Amino acid sequence: MTSPATLRNVQARQRALPDLRRTLSLPLNTESFLGKIAKSGTPYLAQRKVRSAMLSISDLYLSFGGIKALQGVSFDAKEGEITGVIGPNGAGKTSLFNAISGFYAPNRGTVTFDGSDITGISPDKRASLGMARTFQNIALFRGMTVLDNIKLGGHTRLNTGLFSSFKYFGSARREELELRRDIEERVIDFLEIDHIRKYPITMLSYGLQKRVELARALAMKPRVLLLDEPVAGMNREETADMARFILDVQEQFGTTILLVEHDMHMVMDICSHIVVLNFGQQIASGTPAEVSQNPAVIEAYLGAAA
Amino acid sequence: MINGNLKATYGADERVLNNRNKQMFVFGSIILLSLFPLFADDYSVLMACKMGILLIAVVGVNVLTGYTGLVSLGHGAFVAIGAYSTVIFSNLFSGLPTGILPFIVVPLAIAVSALTGIIVGLPSLRVKGLYLAVATLAASFIVKFLIEQDLFAPWTGGIVGIDTPVPSLLGWELDTKREMYVLITALALGTMLAAQNLFRTRVGRAFIAIRDRDYSAEILGISLLRYKLMSFAISAGYCGLSGALGAYFFARILPEQFGLDLSLELVAALIVGGMGRTLGPLFGVVVVMLVPELIKISMAAATGGSLELARYTGPVQEIVFGLLLVFFLLKEPLGINQITDRILRSANRWPFARG
Amino acid sequence: MGQFIQFAINGLMSGAIYALIAVGIVSVYKATKVVNFAHGYLIMFGAYFYFTFAVIIPGQDWAPAWLASWKPDWMVEMRRGLGMFSLLGAVLDWAANVPRIICGLIGAVVCNAILGRVVERTLMRPLMGQSVFAMIMVTVGLISILSGSASLIWTADAAFVPHIAPNTPIRFELFGSMIFLFGADIVNMIIALIIFGSIVAMVKFTKGGVAIRATAEDQSTAYSMGISVPKIFSRAWVLASATGAVAGAILATRNGISPSLGLFGFSVLAIVLMGGLDSYVGCFIAAMAVGVLEAMTQWKMGGEWAEIVPYVAVLIVIIFRPHGLMGQKEVERI
Repeated sequence: MTSPATLRNVQARQRALPDLRRTLSLPLNTESFLGKIAKSGTPYLAQRKVRSAMLSISDLYLSFGGIKALQGVSFDAKEGEITGVIGPNGAGKTSLFNAISGFYAPNRGTVTFDGSDITGISPDKRASLGMARTFQNIALFRGMTVLDNIKLGGHTRLNTGLFSSFKYFGSARREELELRRDIEERVIDFLEIDHIRKYPITMLSYGLQKRVELARALAMKPRVLLLDEPVAGMNREETADMARFILDVQEQFGTTILLVEHDMHMVMDICSHIVVLNFGQQIASGTPAEVSQNPAVIEAYLGAAA
Repeated sequence: MINGNLKATYGADERVLNNRNKQMFVFGSIILLSLFPLFADDYSVLMACKMGILLIAVVGVNVLTGYTGLVSLGHGAFVAIGAYSTVIFSNLFSGLPTGILPFIVVPLAIAVSALTGIIVGLPSLRVKGLYLAVATLAASFIVKFLIEQDLFAPWTGGIVGIDTPVPSLLGWELDTKREMYVLITALALGTMLAAQNLFRTRVGRAFIAIRDRDYSAEILGISLLRYKLMSFAISAGYCGLSGALGAYFFARILPEQFGLDLSLELVAALIVGGMGRTLGPLFGVVVVMLVPELIKISMAAATGGSLELARYTGPVQEIVFGLLLVFFLLKEPLGINQITDRILRSANRWPFARG
Repeated sequence: MGQFIQFAINGLMSGAIYALIAVGIVSVYKATKVVNFAHGYLIMFGAYFYFTFAVIIPGQDWAPAWLASWKPDWMVEMRRGLGMFSLLGAVLDWAANVPRIICGLIGAVVCNAILGRVVERTLMRPLMGQSVFAMIMVTVGLISILSGSASLIWTADAAFVPHIAPNTPIRFELFGSMIFLFGADIVNMIIALIIFGSIVAMVKFTKGGVAIRATAEDQSTAYSMGISVPKIFSRAWVLASATGAVAGAILATRNGISPSLGLFGFSVLAIVLMGGLDSYVGCFIAAMAVGVLEAMTQWKMGGEWAEIVPYVAVLIVIIFRPHGLMGQKEVERI
């Protein structure tokens, strides 16, 4: 089913494609890339000059017994932008994400989402506020098909009650079909996974599973998307695909994206703001150009001869 | 998987009975079940009724254990609560006209069971797996103990049990087995359908999500507290309904019918039949009820009806029950449902080979 | 006050026996991560084996007479002069049973060890590496198999077995009141404590014990370190069955032989969970606590209510400490 939506997607991607391929093979050349995106004509990005902080981390401290996972991390993820969090292993990146998601309660500091303090709110409530997340080690539901997994993303947007569910025929069925339509047309076409949508998760390759997890997050219609190592373990082609999709999400839906990654090329290319962590401390924060030239960052993470 | 199975609307794609065979199976079964009491003998109808009552309880346990992944070894307690609530409320409201009594008493019994289910389910929020299993086991021992106590005997009849009322639905008195069969079968089919519908909607999906990976479910906005307790409530409610029907069906109920044996029977039927599938409970109940009968018949035949050897029937039934459960766990953990799946799949492919 | 102490001491003695039963459950869990729901029935089999070797076999025509009752001349001489309630007399009466007691204990331990080995081989081994749920449900199936087999082999009638130690009443004064104890109970408690202590020491200090703990933590790593994981499983089950046999024998001398002995397994399961599944110290404390609580309940509310004490207790503990008093919370890496 090639809907008009899909066609538009394909054309947009084809436009961006030559730029992306060329840039990804160059070392850390960011300004020109962003310029190209702005030029290729998404009015949304070009118009908004000053953006407010959608997600704001302020002075976050987190420790487990003797282990200090986070020490005073503060940064803003601006609305509609892609912010990257990088750092060596054990720097506290996943702990940061878990704190933002609500699995860990920070010892000190606050997490602010679109102006309201969500520090004490449970993970499931944060989801209804519009925060979606993917996991480092894929957290798909292995007992279900791809379609069912993605439908679960729509959980917070539905409100079928228990007794309507028992009856099914009636309001429950209507809601289900509505959800199905929305997912098929908005998400499945977008991420090009319609050929595998009936497959059980266990049959999919690693790259496809990651994509399905992204689809599930998108089904939530999130305002903030937290991606934990979305391209871990992928080859160049899969990485390019995933980067494309992430950019598309940002362009098409205006989602604020917070990204943890080790793949420096991709991070420097698509992020407009980068935060660097090392042993739980924030050692740098700024544009990719600034960060890549920061001596502390180079010593801790990037390596001298970059 | 290219199989030429193309649908024009999403609705058509979501249908459960999506081919002729499935439709014929379901409607054929319904017709057979309706005709059954007309030409079956009393004992068969009795067995069918017992199976129907057990089926409702096993469907309930399936919701909790098969779909939500929470293990309970004490669901016999909820059946007991449903049965005893029915009797107690019937006695309490005996002033009301008997025709409408079941319509008040049974929903109340289900509600009481569901409420108890929520209370028993509270540990599930803090502990996993086998801690929960033992907690439910403990709860079921406590419930059975309380029922047996002389303290509550005026209401429960204590250890010797209590007589049960005959249900009367708006004047239609169901005092024969065949009449109860109609009620039981209708309710069994209805509850199975309701359970299946549940898993086509967000509530059911949330349960499966909790089973597969609960932190991932949380991140999607599923409140573990709410849904785990809901799952307990639903499964306890189903068992309560089963108990209520049991109370109406049997002339008398005793606490020893609702002990550990019943809880283990429920879980075993679920495992043997197939967890997490609609028809699993049905297969499981049929096996768990028919196998002891077969043993009884074959032992009577083998020993020539000698009374002395008849006392071995009980232990042999027990051993075979255990062996059956163990066999399925070792060889076919997904139950009979998986076996029928395989058969149907190869029948579907025939005359082509695998793949 | 006197009654309180009396019941408290009775409670501690029961607690010691519960601890002995619990050590089997905890050991199997420590080694294999499986909770054996059928442990109570393994103990019941141990009791029945004790009954077989201590009562049935000596009663057979082909058994030597001294097995049933050992009364050498010098003992008869000594006994003749003594009164009915003398301590020495009771000891001598007991001594006549010694051969069959020893036969019973050895037979029970050996047979139960074999049973444990067979169970582990046929039921647990095929499930190695599979979900814990499957392993637990297999032990649940084992309940029916063992219960039915016992009824089949020995019939469900109750019977009596000889005490392991002289069953003389011992009176002494404590805090100004009279305490009555039975010698058999004291000896039972001592045996239980000694066995409990040796197993804990073994697991903590010997190479075999370290292997057990390593296997529990991570099977594949243990394998690559050269530990034979199947052997560890086997040893854990044999150990649990063997100690279970002694526990069964003790229980049988106290409560008589009957299929209901299996139900002790569930109350001890609750005790183990209360103390924390992987903690010997925890299960010891919980066992003692439950023993005393049961005794207190028996004193104040009558014997019946003592039945559900362990179950109420475990539910209360789980609310406040979900992993038992000393259990370790399993951390899941997200």
